[in-house]
Amino acid sequence: MARLLDLAISAVLLAGLYATMAYGLGLVYGVLRVVNLAHGGVIMAGAYLGWVLHGRLRLDPYLSIPLVLVATYAFGALLYRGLVRHLPRGAAGGPASLLLLFGVWLVLRNAAYLLFTGDDQAIRTSYSTHAVPFLGTWVSVNRLAVLGIALVIPVALHLLLHRTYLGKAIRAAAQNAESCTLVGVDVERVYTVTFGLGTALAGLAGVLSATLFAFNPASGAGELLKSFVVVVLGGLGSVVGTAVAALILATVEVFAILVLPSYLTAAVGFVMLVIVLVVRPGGLFGQRVLG
Amino acid sequence: MSRARRSLAGIPLRAALPFAAAVGALALLPLVLDPYALNLVTLALVMIAGALAWNWMGGFAGQVSFGHAAMFGIGGFVAARLLLATPLPAPLAWLAGGLAAGIFALGAHPTLRLRGPYFSIATIGLGEAARLVFTYWERFTGGASGLSLPIVAGGKEALYSWALALAAAAVAASWGIRRSRFGLQLLAIKADVEAAADVGVSATLHQDLVFALSGAVVGIAGGLYASYFSFIEPNDLFGFDRSISFVLMCVIGGVGTVLGPVLGAIVFVILHQLLLASYPQLYLGLYGLLLVLIILFEPLGISGLALRVARRLGRGGPPPAPLVTSAAGPASPPGAGGGGRGLAP
Repeated sequence: MARLLDLAISAVLLAGLYATMAYGLGLVYGVLRVVNLAHGGVIMAGAYLGWVLHGRLRLDPYLSIPLVLVATYAFGALLYRGLVRHLPRGAAGGPASLLLLFGVWLVLRNAAYLLFTGDDQAIRTSYSTHAVPFLGTWVSVNRLAVLGIALVIPVALHLLLHRTYLGKAIRAAAQNAESCTLVGVDVERVYTVTFGLGTALAGLAGVLSATLFAFNPASGAGELLKSFVVVVLGGLGSVVGTAVAALILATVEVFAILVLPSYLTAAVGFVMLVIVLVVRPGGLFGQRVLG
Repeated sequence: MSRARRSLAGIPLRAALPFAAAVGALALLPLVLDPYALNLVTLALVMIAGALAWNWMGGFAGQVSFGHAAMFGIGGFVAARLLLATPLPAPLAWLAGGLAAGIFALGAHPTLRLRGPYFSIATIGLGEAARLVFTYWERFTGGASGLSLPIVAGGKEALYSWALALAAAAVAASWGIRRSRFGLQLLAIKADVEAAADVGVSATLHQDLVFALSGAVVGIAGGLYASYFSFIEPNDLFGFDRSISFVLMCVIGGVGTVLGPVLGAIVFVILHQLLLASYPQLYLGLYGLLLVLIILFEPLGISGLALRVARRLGRGGPPPAPLVTSAAGPASPPGAGGGGRGLAP
């Protein structure tokens, strides 16, 4: 029983990270109809950025978040301006943007290999091993902090999208880009900002995950898959949907440890995706991602 | 078309003759090449078959797979296990490997309900899941220490001939599919799933078929690859790099064309050899860069470049070589209308 409670708590803590990973992918897809295949690569890059700032400048990973956000935002905005803007986008996104962003991911991976070698790294702080008592069990301080930040993000995102002019423009561009142009919204600028925001969220997810898990340049495929499961399951434009979907994924993964050998838990995301697609292709909430 | 065409069993001579000449010339290569070069050519032939098979799915049906290594690996390991456990002749073991890979691809049916990017991401999951399962399934794959295979009768020369036969069969099959009703149905699905369904073309059924076919041929290629290198390990056959290589070969040569993947596979094998020798730490990034540049500037790769050159040389002259046919279908001749920059119509 105590073990089940332990697992349930770690599922909730993990869900925060998964939701954070997914927001960026969902935002970019919802507005631009482009699946950012470089998402996993940016998560990996964010992790390294946090690691370098911590290792070289002794900057606490949580304090490095603003820097990582700015850097990955700039990277995303440049990526859109320089590359993605020139590609055809459609209902299905088209293989062009997919292949191009996949190429960007490969470049990021290779850059990480060159700069940091292929060794596993992790951000270790003085409080990495600290834990606080909670309901008769112990909960890692780091995991709590990650969950706290993961709870702030959707609120901030919601306020941005619903309380600001920029947010209104983003939502309008997602609904009908042509009409936006007609009423004087600079759609290209909105797209640039959206792509930058989505990439910055991926960078944030990278730093957060680096405080919890080891990573290497090849990391990112699993993260991309998990983000994707959450986006498909949770539907677009629904903060609650994303949170619930992340919780479901995390719960299934954590409890899979009970019945599956550890090396198979990495395949859980894929199996989940298949099940979701068969049972509930429309997702749980919000706007359907498919069809 | 009023112009009479000479043909051989329905195949225009214009296409059949160069094809026969190329196969004949390649069949004589072992007489003149040194073992190192022959090694490369064999590898290229196996990869040509794999790339063409990927292209049926990624080019004709428009479903980009990042997980074809799963079928390559299954074909390789099933063939290897059969060769180790039974006195089966090698070609039959490869076929069995291909069959297993085809059945596995059919088993991936739920992912085929997806289109475009969703399918692609699902195949990343499929490939990674297969890699993990087979790496840890040590009793079958030997785990990280891999498997050593028995020597095939006839040695490397015999394997070369089989690789040539496989590549030739794959080229002929590509050409046949592209010209057939089935090929047109695939192109229709790629162009517009709903419109295709309206005229009675079921996307799921056709994608099932082509994915199984594509998986089977990639599986056979995997079996041949295993026999040729006589040592295999899961991280090589099932690796993400392997999946990427099929994508790259087709993008380099021209996605959705018949001859593109052939050219792409040749370029890729040579490039890979050179890059691995001189820049082992850079090749992944260079591939990424290549992908970005091709998609931005010439989405049809080498085929697109060749068509451009041909058009410039013979303004309104003879139509492009019959084997190079655009993925866009008869409605828009190869490379027509500079407006469309994307791969999808």
